[in-house]
Amino acid sequence: MIENNTREKEEKELSGNSRRDFLKKSSVITAIALTPVAAVKASDLKLDEKLSDAIEQMPLSIEINGQQHNLKVEPRTTLLDLLRERLKLTGTKKGCDQGQCGACTVHIDGVRALSCLQLAVMNDGAKITTIEGLSDGDKLHPMQEAFIKHDGFQCGYCTPGQIMSAVACIHEGHANSETEIREFMSGNICRCGAYANIVNAIKEVKEGGAI
Amino acid sequence: MSKKHLENADMETAMSRVDGRVKVMGAAKYTAEVQLPELTYGVLVESTIGQGVITALDTKKAEWAPGVIAVISHLNTPGVPEYKLQNQDVIQKQLRVFDSPNIYYNGQPIAVVVADTFERARYAASLVKVTYAKQQSYSNLEDNLSKAVVPKKAKSDPKGFTTDFLRGKAEAFRDAEFQVNEEYIQPSEAHHPMEPHSIIATWEAADKLTLVDKTQGSQQTAASIAKSFQLPPENVKVLSTYVGGAFGSALRVWPHEIVAILAAKKVQKPVKLVLHRNQMSYMVGYRPYTLQKVAIGASKDGKIVGLSHASYGKTSMYEEFTENVLIMSRMMYDIPNVDTKYRIVPLNVSTPAPMRGPGEATGSFALECAMDELSYKLNMDPIALRLANYASQDPDKKMPWSSNYLKECYELGAEKIGWNKRKAQPDANQEGEWKIGYGVATGTFGAFRGGASAKATFKPDGTLLLQSAIADIGPGTATSMTAIAAKNLGLAPEKISFQLGNSTFPKAPMQGGSNTVATVGSAIVATCDNLKVELAKRAAVQKPEWKNAIAKNIKIVGTQLINSDDASSKVEIASLFSQDNLAELVVKGDAAPGEESKKYSFYSFSVHFIEAHVHELTGVVKIKNAVSVIDCGTVVSPKTARSQSMGGIVGGIGMALMEEVVLDDRTGRTVTASFGDYHVPVQADIPQMDMMFVNERDPYLNPMGSKGLGEIVIIGVAPAVANAVYNATGKRVRDLPITPDKLI
Amino acid sequence: MNNFQYKRVSSPAAAIAELSKDPAAKLVAGGTNLIDLMKYGVMAPDKLVDVNHLSFDAIKKEERSLYIGATVRNAVAAGNADVLKYQPLLSQAMLAGASAQLRNKATMGGNLLQRTRCGYFYDISAPCNKRVPGSGCAALEGYNRMHAIFGASSSCIAVNPSDMNVALTALDATILVSGPKGDRKIPVSEFHRLPGTHPELDTTLDRKEIITGLVIPDNNFAAHTTYLKVRDRISYAFALISVAVAIDLDGTAIRDIRLAMGGVAHKPWRLTEAEQLLKGKQATVENFKMAAELAMKGAKAYEHNAFKLKLAPNTMIQALKTASGVKA
Repeated sequence: MIENNTREKEEKELSGNSRRDFLKKSSVITAIALTPVAAVKASDLKLDEKLSDAIEQMPLSIEINGQQHNLKVEPRTTLLDLLRERLKLTGTKKGCDQGQCGACTVHIDGVRALSCLQLAVMNDGAKITTIEGLSDGDKLHPMQEAFIKHDGFQCGYCTPGQIMSAVACIHEGHANSETEIREFMSGNICRCGAYANIVNAIKEVKEGGAI
Repeated sequence: MSKKHLENADMETAMSRVDGRVKVMGAAKYTAEVQLPELTYGVLVESTIGQGVITALDTKKAEWAPGVIAVISHLNTPGVPEYKLQNQDVIQKQLRVFDSPNIYYNGQPIAVVVADTFERARYAASLVKVTYAKQQSYSNLEDNLSKAVVPKKAKSDPKGFTTDFLRGKAEAFRDAEFQVNEEYIQPSEAHHPMEPHSIIATWEAADKLTLVDKTQGSQQTAASIAKSFQLPPENVKVLSTYVGGAFGSALRVWPHEIVAILAAKKVQKPVKLVLHRNQMSYMVGYRPYTLQKVAIGASKDGKIVGLSHASYGKTSMYEEFTENVLIMSRMMYDIPNVDTKYRIVPLNVSTPAPMRGPGEATGSFALECAMDELSYKLNMDPIALRLANYASQDPDKKMPWSSNYLKECYELGAEKIGWNKRKAQPDANQEGEWKIGYGVATGTFGAFRGGASAKATFKPDGTLLLQSAIADIGPGTATSMTAIAAKNLGLAPEKISFQLGNSTFPKAPMQGGSNTVATVGSAIVATCDNLKVELAKRAAVQKPEWKNAIAKNIKIVGTQLINSDDASSKVEIASLFSQDNLAELVVKGDAAPGEESKKYSFYSFSVHFIEAHVHELTGVVKIKNAVSVIDCGTVVSPKTARSQSMGGIVGGIGMALMEEVVLDDRTGRTVTASFGDYHVPVQADIPQMDMMFVNERDPYLNPMGSKGLGEIVIIGVAPAVANAVYNATGKRVRDLPITPDKLI
Repeated sequence: MNNFQYKRVSSPAAAIAELSKDPAAKLVAGGTNLIDLMKYGVMAPDKLVDVNHLSFDAIKKEERSLYIGATVRNAVAAGNADVLKYQPLLSQAMLAGASAQLRNKATMGGNLLQRTRCGYFYDISAPCNKRVPGSGCAALEGYNRMHAIFGASSSCIAVNPSDMNVALTALDATILVSGPKGDRKIPVSEFHRLPGTHPELDTTLDRKEIITGLVIPDNNFAAHTTYLKVRDRISYAFALISVAVAIDLDGTAIRDIRLAMGGVAHKPWRLTEAEQLLKGKQATVENFKMAAELAMKGAKAYEHNAFKLKLAPNTMIQALKTASGVKA
């Protein structure tokens, strides 16, 4: 077994152990027309963090719940972390951060997707709807009403993802039977086990024809 | 039977969850979502060996990575003061965080990186280079059974369920005509609440700490942390307003919480630390892998002569974990001869934790499967076998039950599921490619009540605010408390709000062990009674006849206070405030159990019925129907009780069919840590279910007539599934989970 | 996850140029696998080249084939009328994979390149020849329940996790690629490779090449196709065993048949000999059993996956029964 938890690649990338070496070899530096000398000077002046802020970030223009945001983000920032940590839109949940639970489901250009496996920069120009944008002000979306009525949750943590997924499930035309709802809602895990109630909520909204 | 019991339709129309709106809007703020200025992010570095010593920890690259504020490990920890008070040589109880270079399990936190963003902290954590002097780790239970020990708890709590126990004659099953003698394996299971464990630690001053923390007990966490950091108890504040599930994983302080507090001390800023989903498999406890040996002997008429039950469970090298695996074998059935033996095996694993229906769920799997096996040997209906051994009083404590409606449970459930469709012979019922089977099993869990307090703030407009430190991990505590208060006062539920999850609120127990309604609900009743007495006192200023009013006769109707003893004497509530120029009325109430537990044995009961279809060629199991009948006393909040019950069944189906934390015993590392590898039930696994409540009042436990619910809805589900699978296929799977490979 | 450069490209040439220029660059489309791997530190590209906006998003019925562009989303392809009409097996297989949300983002090209879900590949503390060539294989003597029974090597016993790829293999698809040296077509059977001594290579796609689309030749299978996937839960899990069956049935006679298996090898496992055996025969359970027995020739199990030696033929028999409508 390998007994350390650093990657071989990083060993190569960061073989030096000075701050200057880090900056020189950082991909950041290669990304811009900044000479290593200038970067090293910046490092000596302890400007490296500001420097990295400037060069590791990319512009992002994104519409979220009808509001346009013009931001600068690191390419590695996921849409989920952008929503939760940067924009404080914490209605979208982080359950697994690896595409295996559905808690982070949002609508991207009207289609349900997992925001944890989307880089924010990949969504430049996109329109995002999160749970915060689903209701019409104080007036809840019919799916939100149905989840309350049918008690489609307990702890509530998977709920925004379930609701965003449920709305899309109907829009996609995948809510025509209980069996179909169950299959097409299987990407949203509910550990409290509210599944049967969720099916009832979706059925009611679908049959009510409100969406 | 008169229709007092509740079925699906009765409950669907009941009061909805009072925090539903905020949850469906995504506006409920869970721990990691609380906003604080100057927030920093902590990411853990964990060991990648199972046993050994860290010989070098190179943190330079991490420290130099952009945005990193600090890297903290055993080399530079600010230290946990409590550790200095403990014996340095012996690790006891909690893992001592960053206290030494010693590694006790794979995945142990060994450092934390704090940075200004999550991305930067995560990346820098990957740059920490660790060198170990590695030793062989031991994590397999069967291979290490020779290391099994009697837990220390057996000595400190000799009347508990970990002490070797004998009633009548040992191994009396051997004398019986019909015998079952088998081994059952419950693998480790992870709680995996959907919200990962999270904490935000802030040092407000050198001796003052505020934690936003995922916990099932804000006050218990505060007390534990105050002790660890040697702080005045009142200087530690813990907030856990919304908890995204826990199932037992947040019943104690875990290493990552200590880490965040240490980190916050080091960087002097709030530190947010959120566990990764994979870390949820080994950082916050798990249902421990348990090997059980069960032997039952019975006479031809099904009367059980003797029962022997032994349990061997995993625990960590540094801490003893025990649970009540054997309780059911001692009290469930009327058996003259019972012997039980409980052992634990210290291994290179993290400490387990109670997971929903803790030991009882594990124990019931073995016992209730063995009962089913016995029924086939006897050629007797499994329900009839259970009824033949029905205990009319608690055979363990030799006391009467406070209430026991098990017979009603069997009867109601058998009818609902269509038990008469079950074939007595296994593997005898097939439709097309699918083999059909029915299974039943019983669950039980002690009905507990502790002490609690509550505070009421009543306003002239008739709105009532109730506060208690209790957590809500999902069952709907605010809803049931609102229902209790509304019923007691006559007030409309919309007028009541209930605040919880704050250690500065009145005293409450942890939310665990199915005792919230019994304990906190009693405090709510006491508080509401006090409020009514207080209002009556004030009413007496206007109308002297109110002097004699007693709480149970007082109700709030609309804007008025009514005394049912004297219907003509009404007072406007607002006037009770205006007469003294009061803006609000604050009343407290306390409630504690009395002497009832000396007279009665308190248990909740459940009977679970499963219809399983098993594919003849692929071994795929589909749960087609689930019926559970529950004796939890009076149902306080029917809609949420039904949901909580269904959730338990779903958990039990997961336990039966798919959940398994697998370790690679070469390294002690978890190989099914992610949600892709550790399967929990998804929507497609779960049918519509029938939840039924006997809804008969328990006369002794508390003023509401309720007993506990959260545990009994999972205890007994896994054996019901296993028994249904056997009935369908003739294949007896004694090692969970029952995955398709075991049925082909 | 290291920070990296991100570049959105708008032409295939630009994507190829980026790959040619930077050996540590990777393409990203749906992101449903690569971003996950990057979070675990399994992959750490210096640069991500975003190909989502290339115009490979068409599905076209051509004279003798069906074309599907590389950036078509799995959900779109699965629900497409032409796919459902001409190649329903592909739709069934894709709908058996992942979840609705993942399928909405995952692309045809990305799914072809989906990497194994072997737990040791994902755990950077474990040796893995696929992740770090030469470091060893932790799965060989480890927890190998999900692992290969066909075509494995002493270097790697991982399986290809894709459902789509199994159907494409059964359907004799051709993968269209473009690179610095121009375009080429790779039969799907030659696209995925066995691990041999180079398990780090999942496919025969050159590092500088991009997938532009795939083509499935017309066939007469549409009326009798089944994709049967056996997993540890009913949905949203990787296959223990999956079987793709497509039959051209003349009454009860098998005119032509295609069979492929998933969850058993480093590549989708085409069952050519079993196909040959069944071709021209009657669709009977007896014949299905013979074919299943033949299909298992050369299978080799490890400590935890011996069940696959039985589950694989059983699943195959069931899939054949379902596809042919033969019950007994």
